Amino acid sequence: MAGEGMAFFSFAWWEIFLGGISTLAVFSFLYRENPFYRFFEHLYIGIATGWGIIAAVRNFLWPRVFKPLLGADLMVFPDGSLSQPYNQAYLLFLLPMSFGLLYYAILSKRHSWLAQLVIGFELGYAGGLAFKGTFIELLPQLFDSFRPLYVPGSAAESLANIVFVLTLTSSMVYFFFTFKRTPGGIVSRCSGVGRWMMMGCFGAFFGSTIMARMALLVERLDFLIHQWAALFY
Amino acid sequence: MFSFLERVDRRIIYILVAVSVAVPLIFNVSLRPAPMATADAFFTAVERLEPGKIVLISADFGPGTLAENRPQAELAIEHLMRKRIGFAMISVYALASPFLRQLPEDVAARLEREMPGQKWEYGKDWINLGFQPGGMIAIQGIAKAEDMRVFLKTDANNIPLEDLPLMKDVKSIKDISLLMQFTGLLGVFNAWVQYFQGPLFLHGCTSVTIPEAFIYFSSKQIAGFFEGIAGAAWYEVMLSERFPQRGSYNVALRVNTGLSFAHLVVLAFIVLGNAGLLFGRRKE
Repeated sequence: MAGEGMAFFSFAWWEIFLGGISTLAVFSFLYRENPFYRFFEHLYIGIATGWGIIAAVRNFLWPRVFKPLLGADLMVFPDGSLSQPYNQAYLLFLLPMSFGLLYYAILSKRHSWLAQLVIGFELGYAGGLAFKGTFIELLPQLFDSFRPLYVPGSAAESLANIVFVLTLTSSMVYFFFTFKRTPGGIVSRCSGVGRWMMMGCFGAFFGSTIMARMALLVERLDFLIHQWAALFY
Repeated sequence: MFSFLERVDRRIIYILVAVSVAVPLIFNVSLRPAPMATADAFFTAVERLEPGKIVLISADFGPGTLAENRPQAELAIEHLMRKRIGFAMISVYALASPFLRQLPEDVAARLEREMPGQKWEYGKDWINLGFQPGGMIAIQGIAKAEDMRVFLKTDANNIPLEDLPLMKDVKSIKDISLLMQFTGLLGVFNAWVQYFQGPLFLHGCTSVTIPEAFIYFSSKQIAGFFEGIAGAAWYEVMLSERFPQRGSYNVALRVNTGLSFAHLVVLAFIVLGNAGLLFGRRKE
């Protein structure tokens, strides 16, 4: 067990101890809303946000942008010469950086229109990338939806393919809203089948969501029992 | 008589679920999980790997999905280390940074205890490329880079990639045999599918996204995947059978067993609640 044999009040001891207290604080919500829970909820949000900022600065902004831009990655020899000449192309970094900083104009009533330029640029490139990505992602799935209804020598696969095609077509019919449906008609019946198929799918999603949430509970209890409680015996 | 079943306080249900989960954890009970074809496919893909090319592991998870994604990633890393396949850790999710460092170190330490005399070293057996901001742009950049060592420059410890033995023969995406991606985040998995075309793709998802992951498995966009913690538990059984020296150590089986007990309690309450409703109505 992780807590066993750990030096009292070492960094690792405090790490597990505070982790246990935070977990119990969050669990206290199950009894009722309380200030203890509220405090740790805000603490977690703050830590997660701060962590994201520091991670971006440490792993990207400093080593890949500011360090080369400021020439901090160059070694200065005792005679004052540099290990290699400063690459002035890095100054071009200032252009996208200045453009990006316009986002903060959103804080000013008078200059907020400048932020719209950045937002527009962002929407443009994200839209372009998403357009390309969607095709790359969905085309193989589209091809996969063309399945033989009869697979020689495999009744199970044939049945699976029939159920697949029935589910696909009936679910698609459910979303045809461009023509009138007569009650009891083929389109209406097919749409009803599609509705039931989707209900089954939603059931699977709901069940798997419960499973995911339960897994979180089990992991936390495992931590409390095998690591946190072990600190005290 | 049965009407009280409709008015059971939710806190009593919480306590019963907690107790049902805690008991198997305290007594270290572990049940054999159901076999899973998707985890089998994951296992086979790793077994077929030959040393030479590296594996890219994108651990895009944080504390929110740690319960499921961490055992998945840990088992996959263990499998790679036992087979002496080099790998690089990376993430496009900031909160994953500690796990990129910690996971391989923990597994290497455990394996070194199990096999005295053998060593797994940073730089030779694995590297940490760290958190890469920019999401899909970062993924696309890595996929298109002619020389990854020039594009990424350094690892998470600011060591130039050219100085790391593992990266000696790795230039482009063609030198990556496999991509393993672990996440519970919407959109991140799709971004890897869309922009990292080429290497075989293996995925570890949380239980929430299992039904969705089957679409990608069926269309062969992913070659195998872990169905939440249950998939990881089955993988652990296969790993223990393949490497019997592993002993009784378990990382996913324990959680999966607790989960099974919790499900039984939930099912019991669903049955009892409905029974209460049914008998209550009949009485009326």
